[in-house]
Amino acid sequence: MSILYDEGQQAIATESRRALEARVSKDDLLPLLQTSGRYHDGFWTTAKEQGWTALALPEAYGGLDLGLVELGLIAHQAGRTLSGAPFLTSNFGAAKAIELYGNDTQKARWLPGLASGETIGAIAFAAGADALPDQPAIGLNAGKVEGMAPGVSGGLFADVAILLALDGGTPALLIVDLAGIERKAVDSFDNSRCVADITFAGTPAEPLVTGEAARAAALRILALQAVVTAHEQTGGAEALMEIARDYALTRKAFGQPIGAFQSIKHRIAELYGLVELARANAIHAAACEGQDDFITAAAAARLSATEAYDTAARDCIQIHGGIGVTWEIGLHLHMRRSRTLALEQGSSFFWEDILVDRLAGAGA
Amino acid sequence: MTDLETYRAKAAEWCEAMVPAFGKAAREGLTVEEDLALGRRYQKAKFDAGYAGINWPTDLGGQGLGHIEKITFEGEEMKHGFPNVYFGISLGMPVPVLMQFGSDREFVKERVLKALQGEEIWCQLFSEPSGGTDLAGLRTRAETDGNGWKINGQKVWTSWAQYSDYGVIVVRTDPTVAKHKGLTYFWVDMKAPGVTVRPIKLAGGDSHVNEVFFDDVKISDDHRMSPVGGGFAVALATLMIERYVATDSAGFGPHLDLFVDLAKEVRLNGRPAIEDGRIRQQIARNHAMRAGLDSINRRARLMMQAGMTPGPEGSLNKLVAVRSRQKLSELALDLQGTDAFAFDEHASPKDDWASSWINAPTGRIAGGSDETLLNTIAERILGLPQDHRPDKGIPFNQIPA
Repeated sequence: MSILYDEGQQAIATESRRALEARVSKDDLLPLLQTSGRYHDGFWTTAKEQGWTALALPEAYGGLDLGLVELGLIAHQAGRTLSGAPFLTSNFGAAKAIELYGNDTQKARWLPGLASGETIGAIAFAAGADALPDQPAIGLNAGKVEGMAPGVSGGLFADVAILLALDGGTPALLIVDLAGIERKAVDSFDNSRCVADITFAGTPAEPLVTGEAARAAALRILALQAVVTAHEQTGGAEALMEIARDYALTRKAFGQPIGAFQSIKHRIAELYGLVELARANAIHAAACEGQDDFITAAAAARLSATEAYDTAARDCIQIHGGIGVTWEIGLHLHMRRSRTLALEQGSSFFWEDILVDRLAGAGA
Repeated sequence: MTDLETYRAKAAEWCEAMVPAFGKAAREGLTVEEDLALGRRYQKAKFDAGYAGINWPTDLGGQGLGHIEKITFEGEEMKHGFPNVYFGISLGMPVPVLMQFGSDREFVKERVLKALQGEEIWCQLFSEPSGGTDLAGLRTRAETDGNGWKINGQKVWTSWAQYSDYGVIVVRTDPTVAKHKGLTYFWVDMKAPGVTVRPIKLAGGDSHVNEVFFDDVKISDDHRMSPVGGGFAVALATLMIERYVATDSAGFGPHLDLFVDLAKEVRLNGRPAIEDGRIRQQIARNHAMRAGLDSINRRARLMMQAGMTPGPEGSLNKLVAVRSRQKLSELALDLQGTDAFAFDEHASPKDDWASSWINAPTGRIAGGSDETLLNTIAERILGLPQDHRPDKGIPFNQIPA
């Protein structure tokens, strides 16, 4: 897969940007913060109508047979407009888990709905700081799961979840139908993510991968989602860099635009560097899907994207001064989202360890 | 294989074959003069094999190929530590400018051929004690002298001037107009009477840069490479010639593998350093940064191959790579503790942490300091305002000193 976009891919970028800019505004997003249990349905409707949910899934199940590169382009635009409902990433991750590791029955049951967006998928691997716990708190016993999956993004509305559980002493990757399962909305600093604690009490589950291979499979799913998220983070960081640039050109102090002060212009130039490194890593990782070095590339993409978005959020607000911290101007939406995306799919600590283990080789 | 892959494979094979004669082992223990002599032989071997002037016109001794072939070869060449550094500036800027602006074509052809074969070296006389970044602020002057000119003044930071046969120089020919408008571009014979070259010893112990003094140096008007007063445009053209050269995400310091190896060997408080979170974080961050640059460079090469112009993000390489090299080198010395004190002045910054560390500040200044590069990104790419310039539009001789 080339890291140069072709015409079709360019069109995906242009069209998704147009669609999102027309459908999503910060005025839709602000009210979502004040109540838990709501997501931006304008975004999700757009995603379904535009076929983004189907994009990277196989044609046999209603998909469009494109890949991570194309999905990344959309995620980048979603990041720019702050419009990512959590479902784009987790739907894709759940669908990929079933596509890669499921049997024909499982694929036929879940993939068409996930492709159309009528079914919402979620990934529930993490326990607190641990994105892929050695000892998952969820136990599998005779085909039923017990335990609590905390802080699942999109979990409030998901129809199906992929879990990492402990089956006796060994890990297992499972599909769980969430119909009728109780869940508790988490009041979050970014409520549009519909985060929920999901409690399982004798819930029937089907295995996707059992034994030690389950962890590797879970890591692969997490890495696929991380690459999509890295594009979204890069898009958010890029938007913030442009907002900061535009403000620095307009706002005057001491008789000149504040962008003429090196303390401001250098800060924005540094953001440019972070954004471009993040973009390059994200595109490279998307193009590496299916190759041996995919996890390494995904980890690098994840680390640069998190750094870019968090830094851009901090610096853009700082450059705005007082106006930057008001509810109305909405930069806090990016600040919230940047931290949310930094936590979903594993923190920087998690990916640093994954990356260094790979760079240092076995036994390090 | 594509044509370019075939080209790369052949270039790689040729470079491998040159290792016994010109590689790191062959250079070990040589004085600078001996190394330069070896470098001249290497440059000649490159010329004979068709790897000199890869993207230059064939009628001037080049190969008539594209920029993409040039950086493909350089990417392979860079892996081996050959003695080619002496020709980097010469063939990078002054000689291409001579090809473009030199009026006596016979003279140009002769110089280009000798430079390509390593027989002659050119330097670039731009920076001055009063200013490096502010190129148009230079004070070295040329006055008319009969049919020609007479140069007086001083240049500084001139790489390889002590071994150079010729140089290109920008001087002030009219102090009564605004500073950009009074400059003229010439070439000079570095062996001419009145030219004195004094090497500057740098912090790392080597002396590749020089001060160059001009005392009544007489040149004829055919040395002029720009209209009188039109030197600034040619100077800018010089700086813009190589937008894409083979870059190194390690900032021309050691590769990250070496740091990982070191962290695996060393124990910190009784545990392998590679298990220490602080070390792991630095490795991970450094890798992510370098991987990003590698990806930017790979994309730039693909764009050139497809006949497109690469984006401006290529300008990030020096800024971020050298900065991170400096930090990683400090950390590598930390990891070695007191063992790091042993210092070999002739070790290569590519594989020796102390050498990388002590030479890193040069890398952050030469060819545009971090601050200059940030200004360039801010102004040229992001469209932010220029810095306040009180000297703008004022005749040079009326600018308060």
